[in-house]
Amino acid sequence: MPDLGNRANVMGPQPIGPVKQPAPEMIEAIDRFLSALMCGKKDDALAMTLEQARDRVSQIADSLKPRGYDSSQILGKARVAEHYFVKAKLTGGKGAPFTLQFRIGPEGGQWTVRDVSDLSNVRSAWTK
Amino acid sequence: MEKMIAVDRLARPEDHVLVPLDQIREARLEQNLTPFNAMPYEEDFLKARLHGICAGEFQAMEAAGRTLFDFPDAPWEFQLDMARQVWDESRHSEIYMKLLDYVGSFLGEFPESEVLWSCTQIDDPACRVAGINRGLEGLACDVFEQLIRMAQKMGDPVIERAVDYVLADEITHVRMGSKWMRKLTEGDPERLKKAQAFQDNIDNLFNFGGGRTSQEGAQQIKQRVGDKEVEIDATITIAREARLLAGFTDEEIERLIKGMGKSAAY
Repeated sequence: MPDLGNRANVMGPQPIGPVKQPAPEMIEAIDRFLSALMCGKKDDALAMTLEQARDRVSQIADSLKPRGYDSSQILGKARVAEHYFVKAKLTGGKGAPFTLQFRIGPEGGQWTVRDVSDLSNVRSAWTK
Repeated sequence: MEKMIAVDRLARPEDHVLVPLDQIREARLEQNLTPFNAMPYEEDFLKARLHGICAGEFQAMEAAGRTLFDFPDAPWEFQLDMARQVWDESRHSEIYMKLLDYVGSFLGEFPESEVLWSCTQIDDPACRVAGINRGLEGLACDVFEQLIRMAQKMGDPVIERAVDYVLADEITHVRMGSKWMRKLTEGDPERLKKAQAFQDNIDNLFNFGGGRTSQEGAQQIKQRVGDKEVEIDATITIAREARLLAGFTDEEIERLIKGMGKSAAY
Protein backbone atom coordinates (compact mmCIF):
# COMPACT_ATOMS: atom_id res chain seq x y z
CA MET A 1 0.00 0.00 0.00
CA PRO A 2 1.50 3.37 -0.92
CA ASP A 3 2.63 5.59 1.90
CA LEU A 4 0.30 8.53 2.25
CA GLY A 5 3.24 10.79 3.04
CA ASN A 6 2.90 13.83 5.25
CA ARG A 7 -0.29 13.06 7.09
CA ALA A 8 -1.01 16.60 8.11
CA ASN A 9 -1.49 17.37 4.42
CA VAL A 10 -3.71 14.39 3.72
CA MET A 11 -7.48 14.63 3.83
CA GLY A 12 -9.49 12.02 5.67
CA PRO A 13 -9.08 10.23 9.00
CA GLN A 14 -5.68 10.55 10.64
CA PRO A 15 -4.06 7.84 12.80
CA ILE A 16 -5.43 7.80 16.33
CA GLY A 17 -2.27 6.38 17.87
CA PRO A 18 1.46 6.24 17.30
CA VAL A 19 3.33 3.27 15.87
CA LYS A 20 5.27 1.49 18.61
CA GLN A 21 8.99 1.80 17.94
CA PRO A 22 11.30 -1.05 18.91
CA ALA A 23 13.68 -0.28 21.77
CA PRO A 24 17.13 0.78 20.52
CA GLU A 25 18.62 -1.67 23.05
CA MET A 26 16.83 -4.50 21.30
CA ILE A 27 18.15 -3.52 17.87
CA GLU A 28 21.60 -3.35 19.40
CA ALA A 29 21.14 -6.81 20.95
CA ILE A 30 20.02 -8.24 17.60
CA ASP A 31 23.14 -6.82 15.95
CA ARG A 32 25.35 -8.28 18.68
CA PHE A 33 23.76 -11.70 18.34
CA LEU A 34 24.03 -11.75 14.55
CA SER A 35 27.62 -10.49 14.67
CA ALA A 36 28.55 -13.22 17.15
CA LEU A 37 27.09 -15.87 14.83
CA MET A 38 28.79 -14.40 11.75
CA CYS A 39 32.19 -14.24 13.43
CA GLY A 40 31.93 -17.71 14.91
CA LYS A 41 31.92 -16.34 18.48
CA LYS A 42 29.73 -19.05 19.88
CA ASP A 43 30.30 -18.11 23.52
CA ASP A 44 29.15 -14.54 22.88
CA ALA A 45 25.98 -15.80 21.19
CA LEU A 46 25.33 -18.28 24.01
CA ALA A 47 25.90 -15.59 26.64
CA MET A 48 22.78 -13.83 25.47
CA THR A 49 20.71 -17.01 25.01
CA LEU A 50 18.36 -18.52 27.58
CA GLU A 51 18.87 -22.15 28.57
CA GLN A 52 15.88 -23.36 26.53
CA ALA A 53 17.49 -22.28 23.23
CA ARG A 54 21.16 -22.91 23.95
CA ASP A 55 21.39 -26.24 22.15
CA ARG A 56 19.90 -24.84 18.95
CA VAL A 57 22.05 -21.71 19.05
CA SER A 58 25.09 -23.84 19.69
CA GLN A 59 24.31 -26.07 16.68
CA ILE A 60 23.74 -23.09 14.42
CA ALA A 61 26.91 -21.34 15.61
CA ASP A 62 28.94 -24.50 14.95
CA SER A 63 27.50 -24.92 11.48
CA LEU A 64 28.16 -21.28 10.58
CA LYS A 65 31.72 -21.02 11.87
CA PRO A 66 33.51 -22.37 8.77
CA ARG A 67 31.44 -20.27 6.42
CA GLY A 68 32.64 -16.87 7.67
CA TYR A 69 29.75 -14.58 6.80
CA ASP A 70 30.55 -10.90 6.74
CA SER A 71 27.20 -9.14 6.63
CA SER A 72 23.77 -9.51 8.09
CA GLN A 73 20.38 -8.11 7.21
CA ILE A 74 17.25 -7.99 9.33
CA LEU A 75 14.52 -9.08 6.92
CA GLY A 76 11.64 -8.50 9.28
CA LYS A 77 10.55 -8.39 12.86
CA ALA A 78 7.16 -8.96 14.42
CA ARG A 79 6.22 -8.73 18.04
CA VAL A 80 4.12 -10.64 20.51
CA ALA A 81 3.64 -8.13 23.32
CA GLU A 82 7.25 -7.27 24.28
CA HIS A 83 8.96 -10.20 22.57
CA TYR A 84 10.09 -9.88 18.96
CA PHE A 85 10.44 -12.60 16.36
CA VAL A 86 13.31 -11.55 14.12
CA LYS A 87 13.99 -12.95 10.66
CA ALA A 88 17.52 -12.31 9.45
CA LYS A 89 19.82 -13.29 6.65
CA LEU A 90 23.59 -13.73 6.78
CA THR A 91 25.47 -13.20 3.53
CA GLY A 92 28.94 -12.83 2.08
CA GLY A 93 30.28 -16.14 3.33
CA LYS A 94 31.75 -19.12 1.53
CA GLY A 95 28.43 -20.88 1.40
CA ALA A 96 24.90 -19.95 0.47
CA PRO A 97 23.15 -17.17 2.41
CA PHE A 98 21.85 -18.36 5.76
CA THR A 99 18.38 -17.38 6.98
CA LEU A 100 17.35 -17.74 10.59
CA GLN A 101 14.47 -16.65 12.77
CA PHE A 102 14.73 -16.10 16.49
CA ARG A 103 12.77 -14.66 19.35
CA ILE A 104 14.28 -12.04 21.59
CA GLY A 105 12.77 -10.60 24.75
CA PRO A 106 13.70 -8.39 27.69
CA GLU A 107 14.73 -9.88 31.00
CA GLY A 108 16.35 -8.08 33.90
CA GLY A 109 17.35 -5.13 31.74
CA GLN A 110 18.90 -7.36 29.06
CA TRP A 111 17.58 -8.69 25.77
CA THR A 112 17.89 -12.45 25.56
CA VAL A 113 17.34 -14.98 22.79
CA ARG A 114 14.65 -17.53 23.66
CA ASP A 115 14.03 -19.52 20.52
CA VAL A 116 15.80 -19.95 17.20
CA SER A 117 15.04 -21.71 13.90
CA ASP A 118 17.19 -22.36 10.86
CA LEU A 119 15.16 -21.31 7.81
CA SER A 120 17.88 -21.76 5.21
CA ASN A 121 16.47 -24.95 3.72
CA VAL A 122 12.75 -24.47 4.27
CA ARG A 123 10.17 -22.23 2.66
CA SER A 124 9.28 -20.55 5.95
CA ALA A 125 8.89 -21.15 9.68
CA TRP A 126 5.49 -22.63 8.79
CA THR A 127 7.16 -25.61 7.09
CA LYS A 128 6.42 -28.75 9.07
CA MET B 1 -1.00 -27.12 -10.28
CA GLU B 2 -1.07 -28.95 -6.97
CA LYS B 3 -4.30 -29.24 -4.97
CA MET B 4 -4.67 -29.00 -1.18
CA ILE B 5 -1.45 -27.07 -0.81
CA ALA B 6 0.39 -26.94 2.49
CA VAL B 7 0.42 -23.65 4.39
CA ASP B 8 4.03 -22.84 3.59
CA ARG B 9 3.15 -22.66 -0.11
CA LEU B 10 1.19 -19.47 0.49
CA ALA B 11 3.10 -16.60 -1.06
CA ARG B 12 4.34 -14.01 1.37
CA PRO B 13 6.94 -11.25 0.99
CA GLU B 14 10.37 -12.06 2.39
CA ASP B 15 9.99 -9.45 5.11
CA HIS B 16 6.89 -11.08 6.60
CA VAL B 17 7.53 -12.96 9.80
CA LEU B 18 5.58 -16.22 9.81
CA VAL B 19 5.44 -18.08 13.09
CA PRO B 20 3.72 -21.37 13.95
CA LEU B 21 0.95 -20.94 16.50
CA ASP B 22 2.80 -23.08 19.06
CA GLN B 23 5.70 -20.65 19.10
CA ILE B 24 3.38 -17.67 19.45
CA ARG B 25 1.69 -19.35 22.40
CA GLU B 26 5.05 -20.06 23.98
CA ALA B 27 6.03 -16.40 23.60
CA ARG B 28 2.81 -15.30 25.26
CA LEU B 29 3.10 -17.78 28.12
CA GLU B 30 6.66 -16.66 28.84
CA GLN B 31 5.28 -13.14 29.29
CA ASN B 32 2.57 -14.39 31.66
CA LEU B 33 -0.15 -13.81 29.09
CA THR B 34 -2.93 -16.19 28.09
CA PRO B 35 -1.81 -18.60 25.38
CA PHE B 36 -4.42 -17.41 22.90
CA ASN B 37 -4.80 -14.08 21.10
CA ALA B 38 -4.23 -10.66 22.66
CA MET B 39 -6.90 -10.17 25.29
CA PRO B 40 -8.98 -7.02 25.82
CA TYR B 41 -7.03 -6.04 28.95
CA GLU B 42 -3.75 -5.91 27.04
CA GLU B 43 -2.37 -2.58 25.90
CA ASP B 44 -2.05 -3.75 22.30
CA PHE B 45 -5.45 -5.36 22.13
CA LEU B 46 -6.94 -3.25 19.34
CA LYS B 47 -3.82 -3.32 17.17
CA ALA B 48 -3.27 -7.03 17.65
CA ARG B 49 -6.94 -7.86 17.08
CA LEU B 50 -7.09 -5.85 13.84
CA HIS B 51 -3.82 -7.42 12.72
CA GLY B 52 -5.09 -10.94 13.37
CA ILE B 53 -8.24 -10.17 11.41
CA CYS B 54 -6.26 -8.66 8.54
CA ALA B 55 -4.07 -11.77 8.28
CA GLY B 56 -7.26 -13.83 8.50
CA GLU B 57 -8.79 -11.92 5.60
CA PHE B 58 -5.75 -12.67 3.47
CA GLN B 59 -5.94 -16.37 4.29
CA ALA B 60 -9.72 -16.35 3.74
CA MET B 61 -9.17 -14.85 0.30
CA GLU B 62 -6.58 -17.52 -0.46
CA ALA B 63 -8.82 -20.25 0.96
CA ALA B 64 -11.81 -19.31 -1.19
CA GLY B 65 -9.52 -19.17 -4.22
CA ARG B 66 -8.10 -22.59 -3.43
CA THR B 67 -11.58 -24.03 -2.92
CA LEU B 68 -12.49 -22.74 -6.37
CA PHE B 69 -9.38 -24.34 -7.84
CA ASP B 70 -9.40 -27.57 -5.82
CA PHE B 71 -12.93 -28.62 -6.83
CA PRO B 72 -13.32 -28.01 -10.57
CA ASP B 73 -16.26 -30.46 -10.76
CA ALA B 74 -18.36 -28.61 -8.19
CA PRO B 75 -21.51 -26.88 -9.51
CA TRP B 76 -20.92 -23.72 -11.50
CA GLU B 77 -22.96 -21.64 -9.00
CA PHE B 78 -20.70 -22.91 -6.20
CA GLN B 79 -17.66 -21.77 -8.14
CA LEU B 80 -19.26 -18.39 -8.77
CA ASP B 81 -19.92 -17.98 -5.03
CA MET B 82 -16.31 -18.86 -4.21
CA ALA B 83 -15.05 -16.38 -6.81
CA ARG B 84 -17.28 -13.72 -5.31
CA GLN B 85 -15.88 -14.52 -1.89
CA VAL B 86 -12.31 -14.10 -3.14
CA TRP B 87 -13.28 -10.62 -4.30
CA ASP B 88 -14.99 -9.82 -0.99
CA GLU B 89 -12.03 -11.00 1.09
CA SER B 90 -9.58 -9.00 -1.02
CA ARG B 91 -11.59 -5.85 -0.27
CA HIS B 92 -11.68 -6.79 3.41
CA SER B 93 -7.89 -7.21 3.41
CA GLU B 94 -7.50 -3.69 2.05
CA ILE B 95 -9.96 -2.28 4.57
CA TYR B 96 -8.14 -3.88 7.49
CA MET B 97 -4.75 -2.74 6.21
CA LYS B 98 -6.10 0.81 6.24
CA LEU B 99 -7.57 0.30 9.72
CA LEU B 100 -4.16 -0.89 10.95
CA ASP B 101 -2.67 2.31 9.63
CA TYR B 102 -5.46 4.22 11.35
CA VAL B 103 -4.75 2.76 14.80
CA GLY B 104 -0.98 3.23 14.50
CA SER B 105 -0.03 -0.24 13.36
CA PHE B 106 0.95 -1.84 10.06
CA LEU B 107 0.76 -5.22 8.37
CA GLY B 108 3.71 -7.17 9.73
CA GLU B 109 3.86 -5.58 13.19
CA PHE B 110 2.71 -8.91 14.63
CA PRO B 111 3.52 -12.39 13.34
CA GLU B 112 1.15 -14.32 11.10
CA SER B 113 0.25 -17.84 12.18
CA GLU B 114 -0.76 -20.78 10.06
CA VAL B 115 -3.77 -21.83 12.09
CA LEU B 116 -6.53 -20.64 9.75
CA TRP B 117 -5.02 -22.45 6.81
CA SER B 118 -5.26 -25.72 8.71
CA CYS B 119 -9.03 -25.36 8.26
CA THR B 120 -8.69 -25.74 4.50
CA GLN B 121 -6.99 -29.10 4.62
CA ILE B 122 -9.86 -31.32 3.62
CA ASP B 123 -10.66 -32.81 0.26
CA ASP B 124 -14.41 -32.26 0.14
CA PRO B 125 -16.07 -28.96 -0.83
CA ALA B 126 -18.94 -29.58 1.62
CA CYS B 127 -16.48 -29.87 4.51
CA ARG B 128 -14.50 -26.91 3.22
CA VAL B 129 -17.52 -24.57 3.29
CA ALA B 130 -18.76 -26.01 6.59
CA GLY B 131 -15.39 -25.29 8.20
CA ILE B 132 -14.46 -22.03 6.56
CA ASN B 133 -17.79 -20.37 5.79
CA ARG B 134 -19.74 -21.58 8.80
CA GLY B 135 -16.96 -22.10 11.37
CA LEU B 136 -14.47 -19.36 10.66
CA GLU B 137 -16.79 -16.77 9.14
CA GLY B 138 -19.16 -17.39 12.05
CA LEU B 139 -16.30 -16.55 14.41
CA ALA B 140 -15.65 -13.45 12.31
CA CYS B 141 -19.24 -12.34 12.91
CA ASP B 142 -18.61 -12.58 16.66
CA VAL B 143 -15.34 -10.69 16.56
CA PHE B 144 -16.60 -7.98 14.21
CA GLU B 145 -19.79 -7.33 16.14
CA GLN B 146 -17.69 -6.89 19.28
CA LEU B 147 -15.35 -4.47 17.49
CA ILE B 148 -18.32 -2.43 16.28
CA ARG B 149 -19.63 -2.09 19.83
CA MET B 150 -16.16 -1.14 21.05
CA ALA B 151 -15.88 1.52 18.33
CA GLN B 152 -19.29 2.88 19.29
CA LYS B 153 -18.10 3.23 22.88
CA MET B 154 -14.95 4.96 21.63
CA GLY B 155 -17.09 7.29 19.53
CA ASP B 156 -15.06 6.22 16.50
CA PRO B 157 -17.16 6.15 13.31
CA VAL B 158 -14.20 5.08 11.15
CA ILE B 159 -13.75 1.69 12.81
CA GLU B 160 -17.47 1.27 13.42
CA ARG B 161 -18.52 1.79 9.81
CA ALA B 162 -15.58 0.00 8.22
CA VAL B 163 -16.15 -3.12 10.30
CA ASP B 164 -19.91 -2.96 9.85
CA TYR B 165 -19.37 -2.92 6.09
CA VAL B 166 -17.22 -6.06 6.33
CA LEU B 167 -19.63 -7.78 8.73
CA ALA B 168 -22.43 -7.45 6.15
CA ASP B 169 -20.31 -9.49 3.73
CA GLU B 170 -19.40 -12.09 6.35
CA ILE B 171 -23.06 -12.74 7.02
CA THR B 172 -23.56 -13.55 3.34
CA HIS B 173 -20.52 -15.86 3.46
CA VAL B 174 -21.99 -17.83 6.33
CA ARG B 175 -25.30 -18.13 4.51
CA MET B 176 -23.42 -19.25 1.42
CA GLY B 177 -21.66 -21.90 3.49
CA SER B 178 -24.91 -23.16 4.96
CA LYS B 179 -26.54 -23.32 1.53
CA TRP B 180 -23.68 -25.26 -0.06
CA MET B 181 -23.16 -27.57 2.90
CA ARG B 182 -26.79 -28.63 2.48
CA LYS B 183 -26.85 -28.74 -1.31
CA LEU B 184 -23.62 -30.65 -1.76
CA THR B 185 -24.67 -33.28 0.78
CA GLU B 186 -28.27 -33.73 -0.40
CA GLY B 187 -29.24 -37.40 -0.13
CA ASP B 188 -25.94 -38.26 1.53
CA PRO B 189 -26.36 -38.09 5.34
CA GLU B 190 -22.89 -39.54 5.94
CA ARG B 191 -21.27 -36.75 3.98
CA LEU B 192 -23.35 -34.16 5.85
CA LYS B 193 -22.24 -35.69 9.14
CA LYS B 194 -18.62 -35.50 8.03
CA ALA B 195 -19.02 -31.82 7.09
CA GLN B 196 -20.62 -31.04 10.45
CA ALA B 197 -17.87 -32.89 12.27
CA PHE B 198 -15.27 -30.85 10.42
CA GLN B 199 -17.02 -27.64 11.45
CA ASP B 200 -17.25 -28.91 15.05
CA ASN B 201 -13.49 -29.38 15.11
CA ILE B 202 -13.00 -25.82 13.96
CA ASP B 203 -15.52 -24.43 16.44
CA ASN B 204 -13.66 -26.29 19.17
CA LEU B 205 -10.29 -25.07 17.94
CA PHE B 206 -11.50 -21.47 18.27
CA ASN B 207 -13.41 -21.97 21.46
CA PHE B 208 -10.54 -20.32 23.38
CA GLY B 209 -10.70 -22.80 26.22
CA GLY B 210 -14.40 -22.19 26.73
CA GLY B 211 -13.64 -18.51 27.30
CA ARG B 212 -16.39 -17.15 25.04
CA THR B 213 -19.56 -15.73 26.55
CA SER B 214 -22.84 -14.16 25.58
CA GLN B 215 -22.82 -10.36 25.30
CA GLU B 216 -24.88 -10.11 28.49
CA GLY B 217 -22.54 -12.42 30.37
CA ALA B 218 -19.32 -10.59 29.44
CA GLN B 219 -17.50 -8.80 32.22
CA GLN B 220 -16.42 -5.26 31.42
CA ILE B 221 -12.90 -3.92 31.72
CA LYS B 222 -11.33 -0.54 31.08
CA GLN B 223 -9.12 -0.12 28.03
CA ARG B 224 -7.27 2.96 26.83
CA VAL B 225 -7.46 3.49 23.07
CA GLY B 226 -5.73 6.59 21.75
CA ASP B 227 -6.74 9.38 24.10
CA LYS B 228 -9.91 7.67 25.31
CA GLU B 229 -10.60 5.15 28.04
CA VAL B 230 -13.60 2.93 27.38
CA GLU B 231 -15.21 -0.07 29.03
CA ILE B 232 -15.11 -3.12 26.77
CA ASP B 233 -15.95 -6.82 26.99
CA ALA B 234 -13.29 -8.85 28.77
CA THR B 235 -14.09 -11.95 26.70
CA ILE B 236 -14.91 -12.81 23.11
CA THR B 237 -18.67 -12.70 22.87
CA ILE B 238 -21.05 -14.58 20.63
CA ALA B 239 -22.89 -12.23 18.24
CA ARG B 240 -26.34 -13.73 18.55
CA GLU B 241 -28.10 -11.25 16.29
CA ALA B 242 -25.49 -11.41 13.52
CA ARG B 243 -25.39 -15.21 13.73
CA LEU B 244 -29.19 -15.41 13.51
CA LEU B 245 -29.06 -13.15 10.46
CA ALA B 246 -26.45 -15.47 9.01
CA GLY B 247 -28.75 -18.44 9.47
CA PHE B 248 -27.39 -20.15 12.59
CA THR B 249 -30.08 -21.65 14.77
CA ASP B 250 -30.70 -20.72 18.43
CA GLU B 251 -29.56 -24.21 19.36
CA GLU B 252 -26.25 -23.80 17.57
CA ILE B 253 -25.68 -20.44 19.23
CA GLU B 254 -26.48 -21.84 22.67
CA ARG B 255 -24.02 -24.65 22.13
CA LEU B 256 -21.29 -22.17 21.26
CA ILE B 257 -22.03 -20.09 24.35
CA LYS B 258 -21.80 -23.21 26.47
CA GLY B 259 -18.46 -23.94 24.86
CA MET B 260 -19.61 -27.21 23.43
CA GLY B 261 -18.65 -26.30 19.89
CA LYS B 262 -20.78 -28.99 18.34
CA SER B 263 -23.20 -27.58 15.79
CA ALA B 264 -26.49 -29.10 14.78
CA ALA B 265 -27.67 -29.41 11.21
CA TYR B 266 -30.39 -27.19 9.96
